[in-house]
Amino acid sequence: MFRPVPRASGYFRTAYGQDLALLQTRVERVSLAVFLLFLAGFPFVASPFALDLACQVFLASVGALSLMLLTGYAGQISLGHAGLIAAGAFTTGILAREIHAPFWITLPASAIIGIVLGFVFGLPSLRLRGLYLAVSTLALHFVVIYLGGEYETKRGFSTGIIVEPPSLAGFRLSGGRFWYFVLLAAAAISLLICINLLRSRSGRAFRAVHARETVAEALGISIAGYKLLAFVISSSMTSVAGCLFAYYRGFVSIEAFDLFLTIQYVAMIIIGGMGSLLGALLGATFVTLFPYAIEALLHLLPNVEKLAGDIFAVNYASFGVVMILFLVFEPLGLVGIWHQLQNYFLLWPFKYRPLAGARK
Amino acid sequence: MSRPLLQVEKIEVVYKRVITAVQGVTLSVGPKQIVAILGINGAGKTTTLRAISGFLGLDDAHVTEGSISFEGRRIENALPHDIAARGIVLVPERDKVFPNLTVAENLAVPVSRVNAAERRRQDEQIFSLFPRLAELRQRIGGLLSGGERQMLAIAGALMCRPNLLLVDELSLGLAPVVVQDLTRRLLAVRDELGIAILLVEQSAAAALAVADHAYVMESGRVVLDGDRERLKSHQDVQEFYLGQAGGERRSYRAVKQYRRSRRWYG
Repeated sequence: MFRPVPRASGYFRTAYGQDLALLQTRVERVSLAVFLLFLAGFPFVASPFALDLACQVFLASVGALSLMLLTGYAGQISLGHAGLIAAGAFTTGILAREIHAPFWITLPASAIIGIVLGFVFGLPSLRLRGLYLAVSTLALHFVVIYLGGEYETKRGFSTGIIVEPPSLAGFRLSGGRFWYFVLLAAAAISLLICINLLRSRSGRAFRAVHARETVAEALGISIAGYKLLAFVISSSMTSVAGCLFAYYRGFVSIEAFDLFLTIQYVAMIIIGGMGSLLGALLGATFVTLFPYAIEALLHLLPNVEKLAGDIFAVNYASFGVVMILFLVFEPLGLVGIWHQLQNYFLLWPFKYRPLAGARK
Repeated sequence: MSRPLLQVEKIEVVYKRVITAVQGVTLSVGPKQIVAILGINGAGKTTTLRAISGFLGLDDAHVTEGSISFEGRRIENALPHDIAARGIVLVPERDKVFPNLTVAENLAVPVSRVNAAERRRQDEQIFSLFPRLAELRQRIGGLLSGGERQMLAIAGALMCRPNLLLVDELSLGLAPVVVQDLTRRLLAVRDELGIAILLVEQSAAAALAVADHAYVMESGRVVLDGDRERLKSHQDVQEFYLGQAGGERRSYRAVKQYRRSRRWYG
């Protein structure tokens, strides 16, 4: 994708091939390598708690990326995200429980369930938009949660379904570090899929449909087809995230997928910055770590024992406050702040320079 | 003239099942021809264009009578993207570029499944017709000026490899100098790509500078048509559209009476 942020200096693309390279400059390559080294080394120095947090961030990243694809790029608002994660998790849980299906069956099965649900609940998007579409996708959430709840009570797993860790060639795949790398890979693959999808014909069509439906149609893009495609791709990715969630937690229960989870995902892409994959990652990190940060802050206060009962309330309230602050002061989200920082250092010590134009 | 590319035959367009916007309009566009539709606001120009490009459905309007045929096939009330696939591409009046995409991406949106080499040739052809766009490749659409947007919209439409380009209000909100430049480029486009162009214009001067043939619409009907020279020298056009009445401008009442007589006898 092309970035509106200027590069430091003197970097000109002179061949069409250069437009296609994912990493354009040496600085980008080096910083990515350093970041990857950090990610690879992290599990060997981190505490199990930090490891768990990282895994949660990776899981949230997969979900946030898929929602960003649908809402941030294709412009279709969805409140059914928690429902889709639940669908993937329940598919995995039920298959593993009922027929002892191995993970190489449950994973594609979750993806297929996601595709079907995405198609069915994408259909309203052909007629509805904005808030109305959001409400219709909310139905998805309740349908899935209802079915999951019915299954739990009928089969007598009223507290939830226990999912055995997957095994490959007789080895049980479990342990914090193992899952760290699995989820890291899942997040990285999702990111690559998103980046390349958005650079392709379909990705441009998504953004075109988002911005100007009429013009897109005049240029020969089938609006209905691409809207449904966006729903299907996003839903299947989310469902796969749900499958991984089920294995990682080893436990599936409808309580984990309440409406607040959907709100959290929407918050991730808003706080992260609409229309940016980096925003999805930043938002996922922020929203996942935020409650823990608040809790850590509260523990710094004196007489924290008296507050013990209120921590949840404080958490919810501060989440709301942060959300409002972002909407008011930085509608572009964390990625907007990041770009401002980048620009500041690029332009330092000069205050202002016209953005493009000067660059031929 | 050989067989026309586009033949609109006595169409009637009705909005919301009650408002008749266009009645008995007949027009034709031949291969490699530039044709203009002139008229004041509400004359039915844009409606005619929408009828041709299939965008009536969005406003709950339909072609209720007559026929539109393109390359010998009927296209009235077809879906916009089907019509686009057949080779008629519309540049709409406003909101014509994708503000969230760069110029290069804007140009890459149109559907044309061609290989990389062909794609590159097409790119270079467009950039030679619109050199300004090559300079702006990395700029996002939302940051372009009005003239640049119009260029980008036309270039984007050309990426669909149309046989007929429909341009709604080429001169809308643009400085006369820019309009002049754009009309010159349209001529170059026609000569180089060999496509036909149908313009809808309020500015008769701009339209008659390029059009081979023009239709004047009033109150949903075609009241006058002819080739460029005929219209340029036609007294009514000079008076009401080119503003070359010479001497006193007529009173509003006289104009109104003129319109009424046109409606009755036209």
